[in-house]
Amino acid sequence: MTRPKRDKVSGNKDAGHETVVVCGEVRTALLQTSLPLSQDQCARFLALRPDEPVRVSERPNVYAVSPDLLTGVDCRLPAASGSRVRGVGTVRAHAALTGGRVIQASAHFQYTTSVSGQRLPWSHYLVRPGLVERLGRTTADDLTAGFLAPRATEPGLLDPGSIASRLLDRARGHELLDGQPPLKSRRTRLRWAVRQVPPGAEPSVHFTIVDTERRTLLLLLPGLMDAKAVASVPPFCEELALHDWLLTTLIRVVERRALGSLSGPEVANRLGPAVSHLLHLWLPGARSGRELPELWNGVEQQPGFTRQWQTLVQRIRDQLALQSLPLHDSAPESSRAPTSAPRR
Amino acid sequence: MLVFAASDKGGTGRSVTSANLAYRRALRGDDVCYLDFDFGSPTAAAVFAVPDIPRGAASGGLHSHLRGAVTEPLRIDVWDRSEHDSLRYAPAGAGRLVLVPGDLGGGEFATAQEAVNRCTKLFAQLEEEFDLVLVDLSAGRSFAVDMALESTARPELRSAPCHWLVFHRWTRQHILAAAGLVYGERGLLANGIALGHDPARLRAALRFVRAVVPGQDSPGIKHARPPQSVWMHAVSRQLDALAAENGLGHGKVLGSVPEEPVLKLQEQLITDEDVLETQVANPETRSALEQLARRLVDDKAWEEF
Repeated sequence: MTRPKRDKVSGNKDAGHETVVVCGEVRTALLQTSLPLSQDQCARFLALRPDEPVRVSERPNVYAVSPDLLTGVDCRLPAASGSRVRGVGTVRAHAALTGGRVIQASAHFQYTTSVSGQRLPWSHYLVRPGLVERLGRTTADDLTAGFLAPRATEPGLLDPGSIASRLLDRARGHELLDGQPPLKSRRTRLRWAVRQVPPGAEPSVHFTIVDTERRTLLLLLPGLMDAKAVASVPPFCEELALHDWLLTTLIRVVERRALGSLSGPEVANRLGPAVSHLLHLWLPGARSGRELPELWNGVEQQPGFTRQWQTLVQRIRDQLALQSLPLHDSAPESSRAPTSAPRR
Repeated sequence: MLVFAASDKGGTGRSVTSANLAYRRALRGDDVCYLDFDFGSPTAAAVFAVPDIPRGAASGGLHSHLRGAVTEPLRIDVWDRSEHDSLRYAPAGAGRLVLVPGDLGGGEFATAQEAVNRCTKLFAQLEEEFDLVLVDLSAGRSFAVDMALESTARPELRSAPCHWLVFHRWTRQHILAAAGLVYGERGLLANGIALGHDPARLRAALRFVRAVVPGQDSPGIKHARPPQSVWMHAVSRQLDALAAENGLGHGKVLGSVPEEPVLKLQEQLITDEDVLETQVANPETRSALEQLARRLVDDKAWEEF
C-alpha cells in the first residue's frame, strides 16, 4: 500500500494537513458494591471536581459521567519504529457509571505537531486540554501501531491506561461502596487508536482480543475529521468497551462450570446475579450509534457482539426454565393441575 | 476471600498444605489465585510443577511488581502450564487456578510505603476477580507478614473477607512458637491492632492448622512397642493441654493434616490419582485436605465461642 504523502507528519510545514490521530484507553470493572447506585448516588459518586457538574442521563438507561480531569504529561511516546519521540501536553480522563453498576475510567489525547519544536511553559499546554504535542519526527502510522503494540505499557512511555487505572482505584475507596459485589468479575482494558485515512475509503474497525484482560481497537476513519468528529470517538470506544466487558463477564458466568452438571439451586445461585445485574445493561449503540452508525454495524457483523450475547442470554433463560421443570414433577399430584377439577 | 498462610518456623508444611488447599478449592469450582509471598524462598512453582521457574520467576514476578518495575505481576495458569499429569488439563467443573510467582532474586524494597500501596491495590484487584486469593507468607515475623497486615487494614480492603491461617507442627516447640507468632508481644494480633485492625474481628479471622500430625495409622504408632505407645499417648495428651492453654485449642483449629510419606520426600500436590490409582499417598491425607478445603469456606468453622 502506498501511503499518501500527507500521512507523513514532519515538523510544522504541513500542520494544516496533519493526519488526525487520537489515542486512549478504557478500563471497565464491576462497581464493588451489593446494589446498583441510584441516579443521585451516581452523581455524588462521580463528583470528582467541585467546579463542574456530573452529567447524568436517564434514557435509555441510567448513565452518569464525571467532569474531565486533566493530567499533565511529558514522556516518551510509544512508536512502533522505536524512534525516540517525546510528547508534552495533557491527557483528558473521566469516570462513568452505566446503570449504577459498571464503572469505566477512560483517558485519551490527540496528537498534534509542536509548532515551536521545543517544550514550552505549562500555560501553553493547559489551554489546549487533551492535546499532546509531539517533539520529534514520526508518522501517524508509527504512532498508532506503537500505541497498540504490547510493548507500549513499558514504564516510561506515555500510558493513558495508568491514568485511567488510578481513577478506578480512587473510586474504589468511596464511602458509597460496601465492597460486597454480587459476582466475581475481571477488569478489562481496551486500548484504542483512531487514525484519519484519505476520503473515499471505507471506515474500518479492527477489534482484537489480546488476552483475558486486554483488547485493542484500531479505527480508520476517512475524510474530514473536525472537532465534533474527534469528540464522538471516545464515547464510541467506551461503549464498545462496556459491551465487550459485559460479554466477557457473561461468558465467564456461563462457562465457569458445566451448567448441565449443576443442581437447581446451584444454577439459580450461579446465574441469578448475572440476570439481576447485567442482562438489562446490553444496549449497543445507545449513546454513540447516531454519530457513528457504520462503526457499530461493523462490530455487529464481525465478531457479532449481539449475536453472541443473545445466544448466551437464551442459554441462561433455558437453563433457568429447565431447572423449574423437576419442581413441577416432584410436586404432589393434587397441586399439579390446579385448574382442572378432580376426576374421582 | 483473602486467606493468608503464616507460620513461625520453616518446615511446617505451610507452603505445600496451602497449595493443596488452593488446588482442592479449584477442583470444587472456585476461581483460585495463589500468591507466593515467601520472599526468602519462592518455591510455589515447584509444588504446582510449573516448569522454567521452580525457584521463582526470572523477572516480572511479585517482587518486580511490588518494587514498581512492572505494572502487572506475572500470572501462570496452572491447568495450562503444569507438567504434573493430573494438572495438565482442568478437570470438568473446576475453577481457574492461577499462580502468581515470586522472583528468583528476591531482595528488599526501596520504600516500604510504596510497596504496601501496590500490595493493597493488587489484593483489591484479585479479590474482585477470584473467589479465593491465597497468600503464602514467609515464615516468622517477616516483612511479608507486616505488609499483608498493613494492606488489609487499609480502607480499600476493609470490607474484603480476610482469614489468617497459622500452620504449626504437632510438637511442644512448634506449639509455643505458633502461640508466640499470634499472641506474642509483637505477634500478629498486637501488630495488626497497632496497624488499625479491629481486635475482635482479627481474632475471629484467625485459625490454626496442625500439620505433620502423627496419625493413628502411621507406622510409628501402629507398630509401636507397648511402652512407646503409652509414652506417645501421654505426650499427645500433654500437647493437647499445652495447645489449649496457649490459645490453640480445638475451637481455634481449622484442621489437621497427618504426616504424609509423599510430602516428606517431595513438596507436591496430593491428587486423587496419587491416592486412588497409584496409591502412593494415604487416603487420610486426602480426606484431611478435603476437610480443610470444605471448612475454609464454612461459616460454622469461623464462629467464635
